[in-house]
Amino acid sequence: MAAKMVLSEDEALELVAFLITAARTQVDEAAEYGSLRLLTAAGRLAELIAERVSPETRTFVTGPLKQIPDLAVRTADPAGYVEALDAVCRAVAEHLVIHFGLDRKGS
Amino acid sequence: MTNPVLEAIRTRRMARALTGEPIARSELEEVLKAARWAPSAGNRRLHRFIAVQDPLTLKLLRMVSPGMFQRPAAIVVICIDRARAESFGMRPNAKGLFVDVGTAAQTMLLAAHSLGLGAGVVTSFSQAAASAVLNVPEGLSPEMFICLGHAAPTQPRGMPTRGPVTWQTLTQWERFPRS
Repeated sequence: MAAKMVLSEDEALELVAFLITAARTQVDEAAEYGSLRLLTAAGRLAELIAERVSPETRTFVTGPLKQIPDLAVRTADPAGYVEALDAVCRAVAEHLVIHFGLDRKGS
Repeated sequence: MTNPVLEAIRTRRMARALTGEPIARSELEEVLKAARWAPSAGNRRLHRFIAVQDPLTLKLLRMVSPGMFQRPAAIVVICIDRARAESFGMRPNAKGLFVDVGTAAQTMLLAAHSLGLGAGVVTSFSQAAASAVLNVPEGLSPEMFICLGHAAPTQPRGMPTRGPVTWQTLTQWERFPRS
């Protein structure tokens, strides 16, 4: 499959700036904000690429990834938070298997 | 018991989603005028405000502010005038400097609410990056953003409370019992 650009330079820069500045703010903030910022970054990336990716990837980035509320943090519900993250991790792995064709390869 | 001030205090909420509708310069000025009346330790007025309405500047500030979920129509940056604080013999981390950031912020939040505006605070931003974007002179440190606009009808779920929060759970009357 030919590589397709799904981010413009401006959009990529926005995400780079977010990640760099989050690395700095995290030094002073509650530890649980680390996961929060990573999920926010993933969510922003998902929003930026949603219209330019394959229908299957779009289904993932607009579906399972959106299941965790923007401001969810571990301390509010430790078990539920981990469960929700595991569900998204499973969903991304299942999408990766299909997207990269691992399921079509002999075992 | 209720009155307009108590009602405003009780009904104010953080706006983490704002519509794209601009706010009038006159509304922003009213918010700034209110901040002038915020309590200030020793009436020293060690804070300066930067009011931003330019769309590109707002966009760049959001890019360096991981905690900014909203897309504000205006931002008031509350800065500590560190050079002025030093002239009063204050240490860089003197608590009054930060308390006064809070009193200015709450005053502006209530003023915005009274005008029908949505407002939210953001402290999760890179001070170095924000200073570079705004060309902040040495001696001023940006400490908090007040993001202003019109609140979207649907807001993201806020940070959950951890356990029940009432004024009683937050208050200890008189002395603590001897343990």
